[in-house]
Amino acid sequence: MNRFVSVLEKHVMPVAGRIAEQKHLQAVRDGIILAMPLLIIGSLFLIIGFLPFPNYSEFMAGIFGEQWLNKLLYPVGATFDIMALVVSFGVAYRLAEKYKVDALSAGAISVSAFLLATPYQVSFTPEGASEAIMVGGGIPVQWVGSQGLFVAMLLAIVSTEIYRKIIQKNIVINLPEGVPPAVSRSFVALIPGFAVISLVWVVRLLLEMTPFEGFHHIVTTLLNKPLSLLGGSLLGGLVAVLLIHMLWSTGLHGAAIVGGVMGPIWLSLMDQNRQVFQNDPQAVLPNVITQQFFDLWIYIGGSGATLALVLAMILRARSQQLKNIGRLSIGPGLFNINEPVVFGMPIVMNPLLIIPFILVPLSLVVVSYVAMSTGLVAKPNGVAVPWTTPLLFSGYLATGGKISGVVLQLINFSLALAIYYPFFKIWDKQKLKEEQGAGTENARSVVA
Amino acid sequence: MNILLVCAAGMSTSLLVSKMEEAAREKGWDVQVKAVPADEAKAHLDDVDVLLLGPQVRYKLPQFKQMGEERGIPVDVINPADYGCINGRGVLEFAYTIKSEEAGSR
Repeated sequence: MNRFVSVLEKHVMPVAGRIAEQKHLQAVRDGIILAMPLLIIGSLFLIIGFLPFPNYSEFMAGIFGEQWLNKLLYPVGATFDIMALVVSFGVAYRLAEKYKVDALSAGAISVSAFLLATPYQVSFTPEGASEAIMVGGGIPVQWVGSQGLFVAMLLAIVSTEIYRKIIQKNIVINLPEGVPPAVSRSFVALIPGFAVISLVWVVRLLLEMTPFEGFHHIVTTLLNKPLSLLGGSLLGGLVAVLLIHMLWSTGLHGAAIVGGVMGPIWLSLMDQNRQVFQNDPQAVLPNVITQQFFDLWIYIGGSGATLALVLAMILRARSQQLKNIGRLSIGPGLFNINEPVVFGMPIVMNPLLIIPFILVPLSLVVVSYVAMSTGLVAKPNGVAVPWTTPLLFSGYLATGGKISGVVLQLINFSLALAIYYPFFKIWDKQKLKEEQGAGTENARSVVA
Repeated sequence: MNILLVCAAGMSTSLLVSKMEEAAREKGWDVQVKAVPADEAKAHLDDVDVLLLGPQVRYKLPQFKQMGEERGIPVDVINPADYGCINGRGVLEFAYTIKSEEAGSR
């Protein structure tokens, strides 16, 4: 077991560090964060729109009119449905920042490049017609929302790479001194911006001659489906959770590292559920594995589902150290923050406690996946509940008000408690012995 | 002295902030402590004297060390045990130690 820990420290940690420090992955992770507050705000309106009270819909229609739901969901459209647009700006901005070139211009160019890759055509069914026709002059929400995420991220990276290379080679229009810096700065972006836009334009023209039609179809066919299958399957979920907790075992923020890679996939799976739910709240949702699945049903109290462990410490710890850690950890733990447990108990680099720390989340993934895919428990409906939302509330909100989501959280919590408990007892006994040992030594030295 | 704490989301370091300020008040030291997520840290560097990383983001140390060197700010990782026990005083003293070491080395 000690060898396991030293192997982690020696081989896993440097690799993890390199992955986490990879510029483009970092830019993707940090760029997506730009969209998260918007998604949470949109979720609020989504929750209000579908509160699970009897006769709620009639009640609202009575006050606000028949169209109340449509109007209430305007903000949902303006947040979820422009996800890729926001991400396109965010990723380019963060990447340019790392290269120390003007981030604002890079972001603007990236948004433009992304829209250039997106045909301005929306499908429209005229009244009385049975078939939809394509109408020009509109930005298709289908592609600037979650479905366009991958194109947005790829183009943000490509366009920013071109932009910064040209600037770093100093192929820019330099205006003579005396011209206001703000003016000359806008000229600096001209040549690199022109290069990016022309390139995307030419590629789009070429793609239009192939059966793929455009950027979006290529990415959907070649990338989206395999990635979603991998990231949305039980096996994919288990591998991700295993990696995250192995990293945490060495004291590294596993969720932040793995999330950089898996985040976009889980985000688009989550939004697929949201779209289905919004059209028909009773429909069967397509995906179990989404961001919420992990945040709310697996990481109960933080990575490793340590809230159960904290409860054990508060109720049953006999050693002073664990009593203290329990008291320190319960407050943050209720909001799913668990660094005090992880570093204070400690779990990190602790061969005994690493076993349940990895075992618990893996078991919870299996149990939750089975419960949700068989339909026993409601799936997360795509509402972006912040990961800091306390247990029970989060399960209720994220399933669109289904009690089964809450029950599963309680079952998961109990299961975690059962697995942690024996390991906790051993550790507590050991700590108690150390404390008493130290106590008698002190007493002896006083006597002497 | 201005101390900047950095972790993944700025959540767990924010637990330390009040404990460190409390410890500083007891000692009568003039200290401001701020906790921010790693990807926002850069924007706060101008008025910072010491930058401390949470142990869970210690893989970011090389990157922040470089940023710190450019501005003459000492950068280090908080001891995991102090971090876990939210030992405000310990971390505060650590910040002072690396600050004075930095000053001494010049």
